[in-house]
Amino acid sequence: MPDSSCSPSARPLKSMPHVTSRTSRVAHPGRPSDQKNISPSASRVIVKTPGSQEDFMIADDTSVRQFKEKLSAHFQCHIDQLVLVFMGRLLKDQDTLSQRGILDGHTIHLVIKSKHPSRSVIHSSQNSSASEFCHQNRSAKRNSSGVHQPAHVSRTPVEPALSAQLGASQDLEVNSPEYPTQMLENPLIQQLLSNRDVLRQFLSEHPDIQQLIQQNPEVSHILDYSEILWQTLELARNLALIQEIMKIQQPVQNLEYPLSQQSHLGSETIPDGDNAQSYPLFNDQIHSLQDDFGGNIFTALLQGQAPKEAQPSPPSSPTPQGCQDQLPQLPTTRVIYTSSRGLSSITSTNGTTNKVNYSSRTNAAASVSTKAQNHMCAMQQPAEVPALPSTEFTQQSLTEDREATISVNSAEHRSEDDLQLPDEQSSSQIPGNMLQLLLNNPGLVAKMMMFMSMFQLNEQSKQDLQESFLQQTQLSDILMSLANPRASQAISQIEQGLKLLATETPVLLSWVAPYLWGLGWLPAPNWNYPDTVPCAWNESRVAKPKRPQCCHKSATLLQKQQSLAGDPSQLLQAPEIRFSKQMEYLQAMGFGNHQANLQALIATQGDTSAAICKLKRSQGF
Amino acid sequence: MEPPNLYPVKLYVYDLSKGLARRLSPMMLGKQLEGIWHTSIVVHKDEFYFGAEGISSCPPGGTMLGPPDSVVDVGSTEVTEEIFLEYLSSLRESLFRGETYHVFENNCNTFTNEVAQFLTGQKIPSYITDLPSEILSTPLGQALRPYLDKIHMQPLGGSAVDRPNGQS
Repeated sequence: MPDSSCSPSARPLKSMPHVTSRTSRVAHPGRPSDQKNISPSASRVIVKTPGSQEDFMIADDTSVRQFKEKLSAHFQCHIDQLVLVFMGRLLKDQDTLSQRGILDGHTIHLVIKSKHPSRSVIHSSQNSSASEFCHQNRSAKRNSSGVHQPAHVSRTPVEPALSAQLGASQDLEVNSPEYPTQMLENPLIQQLLSNRDVLRQFLSEHPDIQQLIQQNPEVSHILDYSEILWQTLELARNLALIQEIMKIQQPVQNLEYPLSQQSHLGSETIPDGDNAQSYPLFNDQIHSLQDDFGGNIFTALLQGQAPKEAQPSPPSSPTPQGCQDQLPQLPTTRVIYTSSRGLSSITSTNGTTNKVNYSSRTNAAASVSTKAQNHMCAMQQPAEVPALPSTEFTQQSLTEDREATISVNSAEHRSEDDLQLPDEQSSSQIPGNMLQLLLNNPGLVAKMMMFMSMFQLNEQSKQDLQESFLQQTQLSDILMSLANPRASQAISQIEQGLKLLATETPVLLSWVAPYLWGLGWLPAPNWNYPDTVPCAWNESRVAKPKRPQCCHKSATLLQKQQSLAGDPSQLLQAPEIRFSKQMEYLQAMGFGNHQANLQALIATQGDTSAAICKLKRSQGF
Repeated sequence: MEPPNLYPVKLYVYDLSKGLARRLSPMMLGKQLEGIWHTSIVVHKDEFYFGAEGISSCPPGGTMLGPPDSVVDVGSTEVTEEIFLEYLSSLRESLFRGETYHVFENNCNTFTNEVAQFLTGQKIPSYITDLPSEILSTPLGQALRPYLDKIHMQPLGGSAVDRPNGQS
């Protein structure tokens, strides 16, 4: 058990290596104070508030009272609001700092009590304006006295706060979808936003929107329609929807950038060109926030897409065309999206959920590549140019193609579920995204599940995952039924590949099995997984399992999986069946011990000659 | 002058893996981890911890994790409950909002460490705060990092700390 004694800090209190705080550190703790480092008469102390920390030079004989005066001037608050804590002791005015043992380099904690008993004040950090605003909201929610302040604050100062927040949206850690929802639900915000003028001013002040309006003057008219504005807000509330939009737009960006050297045939098309230009703003946020994991896979995919034929593989070049196809036909909605983009920069791409949902169904989202597009794409793909086709494709064709084309490819690719176009605005997007991710990355799911079960983390999410798994299997059923011939061909290729894997390297079966689960062929196993997995992992680590128990365990694992598996999974046959040929061979050669043969074969993964060597050794030839 | 009240500050340490980490870490990670530690600070007869939903509190031992696996005495503090709650409110708006939770870089132990230093000047034991770097220094940890990054821990059973005016 861990050592339960408390270890006194050896390091100076000022260093916090584990905290990547985004608040501004006005003074770096590591920076040596140049002037009076070791002077006996003055010391540098660090004052740490919850939001930031700063250095102060003080003379050794400074009293706490004097120090507080200094601080109150610095933090602009009343001296009575200051509470100084050092080593857990409250500092009283009449002491001197050195009496309390405060020496050079020590950290004093500061809490600034709020004026009203219900509010606390946050000081000088980059987030202060935003956090103050947030705080005003929160206090408005929970304490009526707090409402006084926001209520008294006239519209104008609130708006700059809002726009400051917009401007700082990338700095804000508003990564979860709940935060902007909360914000939007705040009655103050609702009140503000229901005022059309306010909203209009607010939107038009946003730099993104201003830029957009410059490029696309007709967009400005949306600011006049309160319905559109409200729709935008609704979209903003439904963050998942925005993710949807983001992801549709993103592959365009992905392709635009890497292929920028090549000629953009379609860029003359004005609406599409504008689309392309308006993406960077959002995509920058995406890029800045998202993990590279999803991004790299698919950008690589995109860049390597060129020589492939469009048909079987997930058409990635077609996708941007797909995206851009959809949008021109929906001018109103597009406009809404761009304005919702503006708003969503408030909401700022939620890093966390976004990462999880980063099904980078990117390219995908529009594997809505319509059939009609396919041949166009086939032509253009080799050129690797995201040529923007003319806007012949009606929405109708899109919808019907959407239903028709479902490209289910190998585990990495996305299954094009009912990618509901953004204009449908269905609220099932949130689980949809999650499911998309799970469908796309069954490996991810498996690993996540393993860790979750092992670490016994959030029970909630475990249940969610299990539910999503069930849904996933249902979805996969749906997909199977809807799949086009190309898809089923691809699936059979996967099957064969996996069979091959399983036969050649049964050791890797535990890795393969998650993919099977992910593809919905196997029901998810019960959560005794941790017991079996470590054995399998142990298996993979040990090059040649030396002990028979390992072989047994892997056999058990396989059999267990087999019992769970349905018919399609011939991959998980018991080793006896898989190695039956080799077993016969061995028996013919005279190795009579069935069990030993089996074990040897499993150990050598079906390699007969190696198994023979093993058997000979073990039988003492 | 009355003697200042000293309030004891304890660190509740939970092993999230319930022993699995000690058993499996050598084979999985290649190094021995004694546990996956979740910590919370207990002071003023309340347990405070940080999770994906922000700073929460509950009666000591009142989360779904049950009683702690070990209790570390951090020291004692003069900070009153009122001041402490003010402090927590400030933290809630700055460093420890729900959305700032990151399983490696800004997690429950980060929070506990901050609070412990505020309350007593002591840090929490290093084997707890070193855990993320321990994990990330293994090949498996690095490989799984994208998945692990998305883990959001939130022990159930607490409620958000929302009482700056000192009510318990």
